[in-house]
Amino acid sequence: MTDYCLKGARVIDPSQELDEIRDLTVAKGKITFVPPDKSVESIDCREKIIMPGLVDLRGHLQDPESLASASMAAASGGYTTILIMPNGGAPTDNPGAVHLMREKASKNSQIEILQCGCLTKGAKGEALAPLGSLKEAGVVAVSDCPTSPQNTEIFARGLEYASMFELPVIEFPRDRAISSRGVAHDGPVALKMGIGGYPRMAEELFVQRAITVCKSLGTSIHLTSVSSVGSVELIREAKEKGICITADSTPHHLALTDESLLGYDANSKTMPPLREDLDRKAILEGMTDGTIDCVSSAHEPCQKHEKEVEFDLAPAGVIGYETALSVVLGELRKKIKDPFPLIARLMSFNPSRILGMKHSIAEGKVANLFVFDPSKNWTYDVNLGKSAAKNSPYQGIEMNGSVLTTFSNGEKVFTYN
Amino acid sequence: MEIKDWQRSSLLSLEELTAEEIECILCQAFKFKEELSNPRRQTDHLKGKRVVNLFLEPSTRTRIAFEIAAKSLSADVISISGKSSSLTKGETLKDTALNIQALGADLIVVRHSSPGSPLFLSRTIDVPIINAGDGAHEHPSQGLLDIFTLRENIGNLMGRKITILGDILFSRVARSNLWGLKKLGAEVTLAGPSTLVPRQFEEMGARVSHDLKESLADADAVMLLRIQHERQSSSHFPSLSEYTKMFGLNEARSKWLKPNALILHPGPINRGVEIDSELADSNRAVILDQVKNGIAVRMAILYLCAQNSGGLIKND
Repeated sequence: MTDYCLKGARVIDPSQELDEIRDLTVAKGKITFVPPDKSVESIDCREKIIMPGLVDLRGHLQDPESLASASMAAASGGYTTILIMPNGGAPTDNPGAVHLMREKASKNSQIEILQCGCLTKGAKGEALAPLGSLKEAGVVAVSDCPTSPQNTEIFARGLEYASMFELPVIEFPRDRAISSRGVAHDGPVALKMGIGGYPRMAEELFVQRAITVCKSLGTSIHLTSVSSVGSVELIREAKEKGICITADSTPHHLALTDESLLGYDANSKTMPPLREDLDRKAILEGMTDGTIDCVSSAHEPCQKHEKEVEFDLAPAGVIGYETALSVVLGELRKKIKDPFPLIARLMSFNPSRILGMKHSIAEGKVANLFVFDPSKNWTYDVNLGKSAAKNSPYQGIEMNGSVLTTFSNGEKVFTYN
Repeated sequence: MEIKDWQRSSLLSLEELTAEEIECILCQAFKFKEELSNPRRQTDHLKGKRVVNLFLEPSTRTRIAFEIAAKSLSADVISISGKSSSLTKGETLKDTALNIQALGADLIVVRHSSPGSPLFLSRTIDVPIINAGDGAHEHPSQGLLDIFTLRENIGNLMGRKITILGDILFSRVARSNLWGLKKLGAEVTLAGPSTLVPRQFEEMGARVSHDLKESLADADAVMLLRIQHERQSSSHFPSLSEYTKMFGLNEARSKWLKPNALILHPGPINRGVEIDSELADSNRAVILDQVKNGIAVRMAILYLCAQNSGGLIKND
């Protein structure tokens, strides 16, 4: 294991309110601020930023993506921990499925792959999954994402039961009945295009349901991929009342609107759908004022041929590990002069806290961090990306800043070239 | 705009056309309509051209009108319908299109239930595409023949008031008419039940009304649309009989119209649902004129688009 001395970077770590220029050494995989006494490989990091590795709360592992390609893509985007939603292939609703995936991950991944189990059996919303056994097998959260139990009885009991194991529940707020025809936001763009609408209220009704249930039962919940202005308002009010609720939104809901769909490009088709500019602005506002705690990539690989069909028949989903940080930086920069401390919270500290993790850039800790060059822009080309999937809405777009090096579990797992 | 200035080889929507382009098609259609009345009835503008009618959703009027139009221009016409295509064997639209291209089609007329599929095809293959209706998105040739018929009967459309009544939400005909009529200066009111005529249509430049009487009062023409119960869920309105009761156009309600206001309908008509049988047969209804005009308008579309796909035989 090579040792590295990272010299002159601005080190940001919200967990200890650290934000200063320091020399940092990764020796035998561990972090030290003591200057190395032997000649270790020195990397000039002046004008660069070092942050704790990014932590993602929503990614899907499905064809053509493999564990290996997903972890490579994530590492190149600054991630050192990714949470895999339970819907890819066989739903993770039994301990056997969890063990199998853990074994595969240990062999194929260079970063930490965490598993989210199903909240209900087969994510069908009809009966609870064995949450206790799932936790024992190693899941760190449960969810039926990208759907939600439609039956409120099941949902409430699930929250209540999961709380006994301190197992975070990640809710994808969606009323299916009122969004069943929806392939795009129910607004003027969908109306013009003649495609079915997925209204804001499909999300907002279930955000309200989550708030009410949490308040009544005294449980906590995390809402993922929030997309509408009304959801942001509901969450803000709930937080003011002290209800234990956290939420994330995605880079694409921060950067894009349903106008991106006007050419019927299925690579801009997402779940939930891209909405209007007022929603986009509300998400931005929510991220800056603490209403929205995290950014999740919502990385959802699709096969090329699956997307090359009629727009309404194409599956929803976009990949995001490689572009999330740059897209978020690009948007936050427009509003905040120095967005990096906020980014460290939104993309690392807050999600890790929700999962009960304690990563930090402190003396003696295992190195889970990355070096970022905020001034080195690049043009994204899906064909040169690490992900095996190509379904990105950012093809050919200039990206803000570059991840130069990522350390995961003490090892250097990615280097920019 | 002169015929020779026409630049497009595909016709995907009326939204993308300029007023000049619409005028150009109408002008050419008037010429073809005159030619059709002469006993020879056939020109050889598209001789040797292979026009493929790819109809992946049921259609009678549009498919036959495109066939007659293409044959009147001496094109070779091949018609493929949903059931006879390989799509039922699991072939994707992309592959079907690539095969039709490989088989030497010079122009494809496509009808599909998915909005945007003609655009998808035009990006996938190098053959001109004519949209003959894509889901609830657009039906440009229908919009043009409606405008053509209005022109014939009431002349210049600038400032004219046209009401489109019925199932607007699911209607590609309403959308194409809205774009086309607005571009020619008409004022368009979209009317019908609130669940089928959302207010957001105002952002496309329409006036929205849920009051039948008010929407008919000063219209120069009313265009009725069929209730597409096959596309709706039962939550859009209670029943066809309730629709007829609240929004059906009958003899009594036709008195709300101006005396010389026209009645149009793109068909198929549901007699006794959106329109009274007597009214459909009355002389203020121009429904069969629309069908007839559909041939000349589609000849104009095929002729103009083929003009830019190379090798058009000109006989001046």
